[in-house]
Amino acid sequence: MAKKNLIIDDKNDDGIDRKGFIRCMAWAGTGIFWMMSGGVLKSYGMSQMIDKTTGGLKKGLVMPPSDFSFVQISDSHIGFNKPANPDVVGTLRAAIEKINAMPTAPSFILHTGDLSHLAQPDEFDTLDQALKAVKSEKIFYVPGEHDVLNGNNKEFLARYGKGTKGDGWYSFDSHGVHFIGLVNVVNTAEGGLGVLGNDQLNWLQDDLKGVSNSTPVVVFAHIPLWAVYPQWGWGTRDSAQVLSYLKRFGSVTVLNGHIHQTMQKVEGNITFHTATSTAFPQPQPGAAPAPGPMKVPAEKLRGLLGLTSVHYMEHDHTLAITDTPLTEAADKVSQ
Amino acid sequence: MQFTRKLIVITGLSVTVMAAVAAIKPGDPSVEKYKNLKVLPKNISSKELSKIMVDEFQDDLGISCNFCHAENKDTHRPDYASDEKPEKQIARYMMRLTIGINKKYFKLRHPMIGDSALVITCVTCHHGSPRPENATSQ
Repeated sequence: MAKKNLIIDDKNDDGIDRKGFIRCMAWAGTGIFWMMSGGVLKSYGMSQMIDKTTGGLKKGLVMPPSDFSFVQISDSHIGFNKPANPDVVGTLRAAIEKINAMPTAPSFILHTGDLSHLAQPDEFDTLDQALKAVKSEKIFYVPGEHDVLNGNNKEFLARYGKGTKGDGWYSFDSHGVHFIGLVNVVNTAEGGLGVLGNDQLNWLQDDLKGVSNSTPVVVFAHIPLWAVYPQWGWGTRDSAQVLSYLKRFGSVTVLNGHIHQTMQKVEGNITFHTATSTAFPQPQPGAAPAPGPMKVPAEKLRGLLGLTSVHYMEHDHTLAITDTPLTEAADKVSQ
Repeated sequence: MQFTRKLIVITGLSVTVMAAVAAIKPGDPSVEKYKNLKVLPKNISSKELSKIMVDEFQDDLGISCNFCHAENKDTHRPDYASDEKPEKQIARYMMRLTIGINKKYFKLRHPMIGDSALVITCVTCHHGSPRPENATSQ
């Protein structure tokens, strides 16, 4: 019944009406499929797409055509071993199984930080070893604050920062989309807010000079570039400057991690999206005295972890974002 | 003859020096030199220190580095050695308090912050909050 009511006033033939949009927003915690076209979102519930018994796409379901796709994973926290998830390697492997089960292998993976829990070489080694199993051509990284603990980002840069600028920021082009990896965890502000700093902002301004307004832009960084909940440090102090640089582009997607839960916001031409963690959930903003690992019943854990996949259609310049939880079915696959 | 004797002495000295150098334990790369540690051990490893900062302070008090560590005005990065912020002094006092309680009342012989054997830890009172409930505001 709810499914039939999802789209009842589809005047623009874009697959969404206001009521449907609000309903879909309410499903954010369980995973939704997003398509963006000129700032207008199309959304579909993952419950309609995912086969609960296999954990994969429902049989016969055809994914929208796309020229290429990529997957975002985040907050693997390798080395974490508290009760919220004593097996973070296992849940990372479940995410990898999900990626490898996709009908078309993603062109690349974006890891939006907190690869490790304590920035230790053995933790990075374990992550690298696990990610060798992923079926994708390349993995791009940005650091989380856990990867640069105690002011030491040397280990991260030595492993993942080749060819990057400053503390590890960089950009690249793929299939007509301009990707920008930003670092907002090395300099942090009061209250734990992220900071980009003038050097990086100047570089970004310069980097965007050669990019046409019609080029879709994807920005990825660890701490959200929008004020999710500044009281917990879930925002970036100087993000307004970044957003001002991005105003002229027709399609901008900002992908972040850090808060270990799916959140989405559309502001003009910019879609903000935060990914779930592959390791442990965190409380919703304000639902606890402070952020931190949240212990949930074991059978619910993988429903709160997951990955994000993004499909891009070149002709329409649209990006479709899908959040997929690590359902129990994924456990069976990984065993 | 004299030349041979000299050669033996030089060779012997060289071997002794090389053996002495080899006997010195190579620096443990996991042990970094931290400036201004006053409660935590000066030879603490990077992993141990990071674990304390994350598990004891970040998770148990729900804070980030800047809560105690001042910002370096030039680099805008946390200045971990600086004692500028009073919160850092309070953190030291709290660590000593925690160690003292575990020693005096729970008879732990060499309690150290981060030990799994500690009976009383930060979270005992803080419960994820920077200031424990019922604490009077200053």
